Amino acid sequence: MEKRPINIRKGAVNTNFEVTGMVSTSGILPLDEAREELLREASIEAEKSGREKAQEEAGPTRSLLVFFLGAEGFAVDLAHVRKVLRPDRIARVSGAAPEVLGLMNCHGEVLCVLDLRRILSPGKETAPPAAAEGKFIVVIQHGGKEAGFLVDAVRDVTELPASSVHPVLDSIDPSRARLFEGTVACGGQFVGLLSPSACLNP
Amino acid sequence: MRRTVRRPAVAVGVPEPVTTGSVDLLVIDDGAALRGYDCRDVVRVEVVAGGAGGYLVRLGRLGSPREVACREVLGSVALSTREIRPVPETLRERMTGEMPWAVGLTERGMYLLY
Repeated sequence: MEKRPINIRKGAVNTNFEVTGMVSTSGILPLDEAREELLREASIEAEKSGREKAQEEAGPTRSLLVFFLGAEGFAVDLAHVRKVLRPDRIARVSGAAPEVLGLMNCHGEVLCVLDLRRILSPGKETAPPAAAEGKFIVVIQHGGKEAGFLVDAVRDVTELPASSVHPVLDSIDPSRARLFEGTVACGGQFVGLLSPSACLNP
Repeated sequence: MRRTVRRPAVAVGVPEPVTTGSVDLLVIDDGAALRGYDCRDVVRVEVVAGGAGGYLVRLGRLGSPREVACREVLGSVALSTREIRPVPETLRERMTGEMPWAVGLTERGMYLLY
């Protein structure tokens, strides 16, 4: 609604000015309505500036994709997620490291699919390769490298203040700890924030 | 921009860029994946008698002799240069066995080219 300044009409008897209402494109608003309109606008402005102030105080935010391996939650910065796919035919590769599930045709490109469970638990190399049915592949890109990581379920995208990322616990095994940027509280659960660089580089 | 795929130096000593034409491959099933070998390099295919059976593909017409045991020989396929893709770096870094020089990507399937 386009608004013009409050209409001021010179009084007929004295020289005082009388405020009669506000002119809008739909006509003249009565004074009460005009006042309400102004108060509403002022309240919207105050709310907006309050939100901006709160955001400034909280600092920059990060968008994270949250996913699961069994009951354990993980997150990765959305900036490094290229796409999320359902697994298609994965061609196995003989002579590859145990975490390599194989190669997949990803819209005409060759995608290397890795078993995130094996990357996170390298000791369990005798376990059979994960079955891909009903799961998801999160395609992560970083530093010119790209790979798909097989995960059990993808929950959602969460926006959190960057300051809410806590350091990795000292009690975690260093070989596993190197795969994480930190931990974040997400939906009442602590999830490990994966480092895309560490996960892509063996 | 797509990276140029280079064939290994089997004949002339210099890796050969695959930019035009097509490559004829003998496709075998090694039990885990489909492998493709340059048809020009195949000397002969032998049936392995006894044991688990299978076939032995003798190579070396273009270069040094080598042999590959496989479960099945599936036949030959001609891949156009568009269907020959570089090996993803994430796989390259995780290869502990023989490294394929390219990946053949067709609607029919995926082949590792050795």
